[in-house]
Amino acid sequence: MDLMTKLKILSNGAKYDAACTSSGADRPGNRGLGSALAAGCCHAFSADGRCISLLKVLMTNQCIYDCKYCINRSSNDIQRAAFTPEELAELTIQFYRRNYIEGLFLSSGIIKNPDYTMEKMIAILEILRRKYDFYGYVHAKTIPGASPELIYKLGLLADRLSVNIELPSERSLNQLAPHKTKQAILTPMRQIADGLCSSKEERFLYKHAPRFAGAGQATQMIIGATPENDFSILRLASFLYEKYQLRRVFYSAYIPAVEDSLLPALNTKPPLLREHRLYQADWLIRQYDFSADEILSEETPNFNPYLDPKCNWAINNMGRFPIDVNKASREDLLRIPGIGPISAKRIIIARKAGKLGIAELKRIGVVLKRAQYFIITRDNPSGPHLNNETVLRALIDPKVYRTDMEQLSLFPEETDPRLPSPQDFTSVTQAAEEVVLSLSRSL
Amino acid sequence: MYDGSIAGFYCCVFESVYSRQIPCDIFVSHQAPYTLLPQKLITTDSQKAARVYRSIPLKISQQALRLVEVVFLSCMKQKELALLRFLLLAYRCNAKIMQMLAHPLVAPLLAAERHIRNESHLLRGFIRFADYDGILAASITPKNFVLPLIANHFITRFSDEDFLIFDKTHHAALTYQNRKKNFISVKEIEFSPASENENYYQALWKQFYNTVAIEARDNPKCRMTQVPKRYWENMTEMKDLL
Repeated sequence: MDLMTKLKILSNGAKYDAACTSSGADRPGNRGLGSALAAGCCHAFSADGRCISLLKVLMTNQCIYDCKYCINRSSNDIQRAAFTPEELAELTIQFYRRNYIEGLFLSSGIIKNPDYTMEKMIAILEILRRKYDFYGYVHAKTIPGASPELIYKLGLLADRLSVNIELPSERSLNQLAPHKTKQAILTPMRQIADGLCSSKEERFLYKHAPRFAGAGQATQMIIGATPENDFSILRLASFLYEKYQLRRVFYSAYIPAVEDSLLPALNTKPPLLREHRLYQADWLIRQYDFSADEILSEETPNFNPYLDPKCNWAINNMGRFPIDVNKASREDLLRIPGIGPISAKRIIIARKAGKLGIAELKRIGVVLKRAQYFIITRDNPSGPHLNNETVLRALIDPKVYRTDMEQLSLFPEETDPRLPSPQDFTSVTQAAEEVVLSLSRSL
Repeated sequence: MYDGSIAGFYCCVFESVYSRQIPCDIFVSHQAPYTLLPQKLITTDSQKAARVYRSIPLKISQQALRLVEVVFLSCMKQKELALLRFLLLAYRCNAKIMQMLAHPLVAPLLAAERHIRNESHLLRGFIRFADYDGILAASITPKNFVLPLIANHFITRFSDEDFLIFDKTHHAALTYQNRKKNFISVKEIEFSPASENENYYQALWKQFYNTVAIEARDNPKCRMTQVPKRYWENMTEMKDLL
């Protein structure tokens, strides 16, 4: 089989992995080939609007497992292929030299057994790092059930490791990925977290101590294939951030790739809006000091499709507003819809030189579209006097009205009964008015 | 009027400070318009330029010097005049100027700085090299003169390679050969047709690019936001879509 066909099969098999970040490793170049930027670097964007930063491929799509949701499952009748280590290393180098990519994302189906597969993956990375003197970014996926020594070895070669949690609950895992157990996923995660910690300590003491997965670990879960609600997913994510020091949790809207009675039908649209809301909430947890319990609760376990999670929080906590931009702490500034870490930083610097009014905020680049309803400024010391309906009307997320609106949940009993379903409307204006009314009633 | 170099611009600042005059505009001499207004040609004097250069970190701040140097490379309209007025104000306010983000003389410079930094960040990813007998070559058409800002990134990354980046907009090129970097001024560079091997890797890349997109998530508008169309002409995988 020629390289072109292999590349097609093996990138097709890897594309459902959401992670494509190249951030977290800061390694200036100077010898050999390559360097890594702390902020990461996007090299291209595919037709679906996702960033391409790494050459994302499987080593092989042969697999002994039969996970129901996966296109590479052993019972799926598809063409199988495998890269030889030399072939893949050469391809990575040639793509890297032309500045197509920031590095390699290596995952694999499982051949023979997890350890055998891991050894083969390690062989590829060894060629890259040793023979080609490659210092670019490498993200490697550990194979569930591989032995700790091999995970450690892989971590010495890769910048980032990840173990996919796949499905957000043990029950779903048992049902859809019978060969993977919760234990087989959490054990290596624990090991990597501990390895990261001790590698940091050692490197603090000895400059040349080996670096273990310098860019930390990440994971991904599939959203919408199983009936977990948003709150349980978000709680799981914040548990992972806290207890396993994960750098990132990725959410992947389930795209039906195989027919199975246990899965949603093949013509189901991927829950992209839900995935979008999860990322917004994830961001609030990592960058804005929010906790999962502030964003959702047992009573409202699912996202409001019409409002982004931050606006939703603000609307339900109007008592904390308006906030005075000339006095508020960074934490409070970050609670204002429309103000993020960059705007907050600029506000804090600029107000040292003089009190800020609306004109000043605009000039330093703060977007006031949403923020205006929540702030006190020099020229408006008493804050805005508006009723909830006006504010709501301005905050509704236009994304919800995209013409190709997907079904919000595959499990209809889970959508918020207080809210009208987006499918019920014919016109956008009618929809907006209905939503404003029903939301303000429920406040 | 001045010669277009940063030293020449510093001499304009010198002239303005010591003659106590503020011009109504500053031009590079060969681009100056015909006008009835009185004009003054500022000749570049390295000693005067050095005095101004040294005064900025001394009287204002290191941060302000960086801002001036970066904005000078940007495509901001009347950047020389804007920078001069900024410096005249900054000599009075000293280091505090860098807190005055909302000041009408400061805010536009910060916006111009963001514009050029953003463009050079994008280009670090979007530049596409082609291999011509072991020498990597790329063309770019940026709005800002980003070459000096991206040079180090590529030099440290490809330290053992020889490469060339040609800026078509500004008729300049960065060359890196035998571990030596050089900025040269060139009108046009003729690239010879790509080798068979080069075409093969370009085809492999397009194959990968087209395969990783998930059809069920197709979102061309999002791609357009992330990669504005003006970058497409120089990108291997996007050229054919134009």
